Amino acid sequence: MEPTPFIQGEKIDLLPLNISNVEIYVKWVNRPKIRKFGRSVIPKTVEQWKKLIHAEEKGIKDSVSLEIWHKSDQKPIGELGLFNINWFDKKAYIGLSIGEIDYWNQGICTEALKLITNYAFAELNLNKLYSYIFAPNKASCRCVEKNGFIREAILKKDVFIDGKYEDTYFYSIFKEDWMKLNG
Amino acid sequence: MTEKDKEVKEGDVFPFLEGERIDLVPQNSKWIPLFAKWQNNERVRHYARFSMPTTAEDIKKWFEPRSEGGPREGVFFTIYHKGDKRPIGSMGLFRINWIYRNAWIMGIIGEPEYWGKGIIGEAAKLLINYGFTELNLHKIYAGVFNPNKRSLRAAEKLGFKQESLLKEDMYVDGVYVDTYQFGLFKRDWMEQNK
Repeated sequence: MEPTPFIQGEKIDLLPLNISNVEIYVKWVNRPKIRKFGRSVIPKTVEQWKKLIHAEEKGIKDSVSLEIWHKSDQKPIGELGLFNINWFDKKAYIGLSIGEIDYWNQGICTEALKLITNYAFAELNLNKLYSYIFAPNKASCRCVEKNGFIREAILKKDVFIDGKYEDTYFYSIFKEDWMKLNG
Repeated sequence: MTEKDKEVKEGDVFPFLEGERIDLVPQNSKWIPLFAKWQNNERVRHYARFSMPTTAEDIKKWFEPRSEGGPREGVFFTIYHKGDKRPIGSMGLFRINWIYRNAWIMGIIGEPEYWGKGIIGEAAKLLINYGFTELNLHKIYAGVFNPNKRSLRAAEKLGFKQESLLKEDMYVDGVYVDTYQFGLFKRDWMEQNK
């Protein structure tokens, strides 16, 4: 199937989730290096993921998920989305993971985050985005900070990762500030 | 109205938005026969343009629990007369666009004896305020067809401004009639109601 970009970037595009890639998504979410900071503690099945993609809801959705598509390599390399969209407060949290580890540290996270943030503010008209990042996940901290997210709070000893409690950083960004940064 | 319809137990009423003469209360499935009576009443539906019959089964669907996800596209209340202790109409916001932050308002007084007392105006004020200060909407629309003088007056009194006129948009009593579309911005509402 010809990839159908929903949001176009430079190195990557963001595509609607594709049911025929469900095995790939499930591989990512179960992969130890990915699930460590995704806190996917219970194994995920293909059936569960299919259900997520098929979810039919009345009214507006409370989440938007997209696939990160590498343009020159012509393949999906990760997923991201806006979750728990609160349409009254106009806020949502961002989740992002680069499932293909070979593509880490190439600025893809930064680009993908920029695309989804712009979409959330300029198209969905949200007011605030936030992200929970675990303290040892330095790469994600750098990624959100590069995009202007501010560490708004620290939740002490909040998650149990590899046998010990770690802090969670609560990062956020407001539409107003994003628009200033990105004219 | 039969005596049975009038029986409203205090326990069935949960004021959600409180007004002076009326409250806006959540719809109660116990009132389905009443809603059906209103929606099918010729005088009521003449203005509301309910041109197809509404069955109790249709109304039961309003109460079906929904799957997870974002909020619905509509929020409806029952207009409850406090002095007379009875539900007298419905009012709500529908076609809510959560991205553009706008919605349409509509209301009916199902009991014609309460017409012409400014009750729709009072209910609309509560609902509009709710739309702007709780649902965080940007703009509210109202559509009124031309011979409906009472609703035109009510919309203007509430501060709605006419934005467009759709020619021969509806079919009422055998003729095509124009529809006025009104809009009200949050900023203007807040300014008016400081």
